[in-house]
Amino acid sequence: MSAAAAPRLSPVALMLVILGAAIMAAPLLWTLLLSFKPNADLMRDSGTAFSAPYTLENYAAILQGSSLVRWLVNSLIVSLGTTIGVLILASLAGYGFARLDFPFRRTLFVFVLLGLAVPEQAVILPRHQLFAWLGLHNSYPGLILPGLVGPFGVFFMTQYFRAIPKELDEAAMLDGASRLTIFWKVLLPLTWPAQATLGVFTFLGSWNDYWWPLISATRSDRFTLTIGLASSQMNYAQTSGLGFLMAQAVFASVPILIVYVVFQKQIVRAMAGTAAR
Amino acid sequence: MPSLELNDVGKAYGAVPVLDGVSLAMEGREFVAFLGPSGSGKSTLLRIIAGLETADRGEVWLEGRRIDMLPPGERGVAMVFQHYALYPHMTVFENMAFGLRNAGVLREEIAARVGEAARVLEIESQLEKKPGQLSGGQRQRVAIGRAIVKQPRLFLLDEPLSNLDAALRMRTRVELAQLRQRVDAAVIMVTHDQAEAMTLADRIVVMADRRIQQVGTPMDIYARPANSFVARFVGSPAMTLAPVTLLDGEGAHARVRLADGAEIQTRVPRGSLDPGAAHDIGLRPEHVHVVATDAATLTAKADLVERLGDRTFVYARLGGDLPITAEDAGDSRVRIGDTIGLRIDGAAAHLFAANGTAHHAEAAG
Repeated sequence: MSAAAAPRLSPVALMLVILGAAIMAAPLLWTLLLSFKPNADLMRDSGTAFSAPYTLENYAAILQGSSLVRWLVNSLIVSLGTTIGVLILASLAGYGFARLDFPFRRTLFVFVLLGLAVPEQAVILPRHQLFAWLGLHNSYPGLILPGLVGPFGVFFMTQYFRAIPKELDEAAMLDGASRLTIFWKVLLPLTWPAQATLGVFTFLGSWNDYWWPLISATRSDRFTLTIGLASSQMNYAQTSGLGFLMAQAVFASVPILIVYVVFQKQIVRAMAGTAAR
Repeated sequence: MPSLELNDVGKAYGAVPVLDGVSLAMEGREFVAFLGPSGSGKSTLLRIIAGLETADRGEVWLEGRRIDMLPPGERGVAMVFQHYALYPHMTVFENMAFGLRNAGVLREEIAARVGEAARVLEIESQLEKKPGQLSGGQRQRVAIGRAIVKQPRLFLLDEPLSNLDAALRMRTRVELAQLRQRVDAAVIMVTHDQAEAMTLADRIVVMADRRIQQVGTPMDIYARPANSFVARFVGSPAMTLAPVTLLDGEGAHARVRLADGAEIQTRVPRGSLDPGAAHDIGLRPEHVHVVATDAATLTAKADLVERLGDRTFVYARLGGDLPITAEDAGDSRVRIGDTIGLRIDGAAAHLFAANGTAHHAEAAG
């Protein structure tokens, strides 16, 4: 039924879509092919990407000697830590703003919304100073904590909680549930679509974050993938390791690819929602 | 001892009062309907009893225990919400068991109670489904089941039939009446549908303008409305109210004259009326009969003819443009625009003073 309801593309539109997809996919495909080429071949001519021989030696090198696995683990820790933290804090704050009656609730919510208007550039220096005083640079908390301050997440979850009928809270109150039970067993499970959307975007944002890790992580063993790959590029891109560099890029993309595949529905829905607004 | 007692309950939202000194006592396992138009305060009163709103003043007692200071879950009441308020992510079983689990009821006891309620409500085969997989009627039953399993002392039903289509509403109304026989608890139902109130309730509490207008059995309310609001609000089609002049005379009962000159002899005691004051006469449609014009007390022009099969209601206008509703036989030949004769059963007429106070006819004999 749903297939029948889907709009049919005209041949011209279909061609344009295919062309667009090819343009988008081409660099990715090229990266993939380069990653399987011996570095020596690429030194002579990077155009050899489209012909044999191909090799797995670049991937073997990653697993044997490079810091990439370390950076990958760092990125996973930082991104997962940020995501889990944001989901917990945004859910609690969203529930509070949406359901609890406390002094200055509206004023505080306006402050949260004002946070959306403050660019990261405006706070980066004081934050750097603060984290230096606290000795948090080159640490996981130092990389995770700034990501937890997410006004968008609070706003997003507040709106989602507000959309849940209050009758459910009231039914649960009559069922003898405490505030915590209502939050944990009745309302939170209903916010799963919002949690998934917020979680995916937070994870992707944290995974791809470049600026703050560049400032905070100055030691190689605390690099996240973005910083690590950038440092490799500066060292090798123009020299002998193009295939190795591409293998690193492919390797680094795998977790993000998994996130996209698993949460495809949430990402598309969130994007569609954004477009509709 | 009354099952539920409300003493001078008052509530305002900011500067807007919604309940003004409401007092009421329910006896035993009574089924009471709060009937009133939107904004009359009936839902607020129900929510105050449930503990979902706090009263600004007054007390709520349930079976000798003051409950207005207790949280909703400790009051011994259960509520069926207008939109059911089932937990969408839980199965039917989990929905019905949720309150019992919170109360620390043993697993075996929960299974027994939910199973019994499901059997009574014929939803045994739905227990593993989620509310989204159920029809409106089935959801309604689950909501009722969730209330039943808690074995409350008082059931609160908030417009329980308003979301159902006409056929299902009739069926559920019958089921509610049967259910009431099975549960050992008092029931309060909020509704703006007088047919629901009349058919289900032992007593009706008519509310308007933040106050109780009248408390009585359905037939009390219908036959002896306390004031012109109740007279107009209860009964379908509504009672006709038309201004009349009291005529001087010697008889024990008032004789009145309509604006078009027609005179009606009532059985309302003359002594209860203020001779110099303005009054309205109140006439139910079944007391205004369509007759041949030569045998009529007065004539009117038919505006609308409503054929219900077994009888016909004719909405007409008297001289002076006064609307009046009359009843005719099911095979009535009256058509829109016809001039019709009306015979008024004056012995059943009510009179209302300018402040709305009702004066009823004395019983014959």
